[in-house]
Amino acid sequence: MGSSGAFKTGLVALLPRLRRFAHGLSRNPADADDLTQATIERALRSSEQWREGTRLDSWAYRIMRNLWIDTARARLRRAEREAPAEDAEQIGVDPTGAMEASVDLAKMMSAMDRLPDEQREVVALILIEGFGYREAAEMLDVPMGTVASRLVRGRTALLELVGVERAD
Amino acid sequence: MNVPTDEKFFAWLDGELDDVEAARVEAEVAADAKLGELAAQHRALQARLQTAFGTVLDAPVPAPLTAATDDQRRGEVLQFRAKPHGPVWKMLPLAAMLAVGILVGSLIPDRATGPIQVQAGELYAAAALNDALDMQLASAPSGDIRIGLTFRDRTGAICRSFTGPSSSGLACRHDGRWALRGLLGVPEGQADDYRMAGGENPALSNLVDSTIAGEPFDAARERAARDSGWR
Repeated sequence: MGSSGAFKTGLVALLPRLRRFAHGLSRNPADADDLTQATIERALRSSEQWREGTRLDSWAYRIMRNLWIDTARARLRRAEREAPAEDAEQIGVDPTGAMEASVDLAKMMSAMDRLPDEQREVVALILIEGFGYREAAEMLDVPMGTVASRLVRGRTALLELVGVERAD
Repeated sequence: MNVPTDEKFFAWLDGELDDVEAARVEAEVAADAKLGELAAQHRALQARLQTAFGTVLDAPVPAPLTAATDDQRRGEVLQFRAKPHGPVWKMLPLAAMLAVGILVGSLIPDRATGPIQVQAGELYAAAALNDALDMQLASAPSGDIRIGLTFRDRTGAICRSFTGPSSSGLACRHDGRWALRGLLGVPEGQADDYRMAGGENPALSNLVDSTIAGEPFDAARERAARDSGWR
């Protein structure tokens, strides 16, 4: 019961970060919270699979990522039906200056949504969530070199999409 | 001059290279204005990502998400008069505690006699807890609830930490009432020794530290604050 309490406490503590990761993966905030909810439920059901002494965050992130991948095919079909051209123009508008961070979140989510899934997840894990290459590779079950090359492509595409200018 | 591969350049940018390699790439970037510009652009991109997505981190977690984790916690941490349990709180960082603060709103029944009432999503002290926060001085404990520290938070509101037989917490003035900012279980074995209010429970200390602006009130200031209605 002690470890169960610690597990739940840890999970509650992770909620804000899990939500952030879900926003990095999802196309809108509603989908992100659905994904977070599904992740929490799956984590609670699978709690006996988590080994005490190992990182709970990596474990929970992996659950979220796998749930997200499960829906990837459906997402892809939907994306193919939608023309991205208009989005591109909106995303490119005035990316610098005093834009509200919360407004910018919608733009950044929209840009992230344009990346291929395998690039998007490494961008989210490393550039937003702050994991190292090795941690990301372990979570995604791919070699570190693969993580590195996907990250190069993902961040380069993202830079083109949002057109960040230097803030100096 | 050598130009680093994309992978190596970005690994350098992300702090993934060892010192020797990092120094080499750094020198190459320093010698190449284009690379320097590219590094700046990507640093700006990451900063922008972190700022934008950081708004999610700072936002309250929606109740349906916290509710998904609530069932057992209800007995362990949240009920003010719950039987003391194991030291679950030791694992409880501040973020969790604040999440609990939101979560608890959906859990504690709105009973007129309970020590906590829920109103418009805020948790307020009621009954004996409210009386203790309103009237008791740290120097003159009486009843089941002891007051620890009294201080102002960054918004200027007066806050007081308290410890009861099975819980401790922090409440701050909000709209003329005591709004709960955190509620913690008392660790097993310390339940009878709750005179140590305010500071002995590290989680409560952390909460106080993150809330307080300036120094805690001394006895004279505490009394004066009470006599002027905690304004």
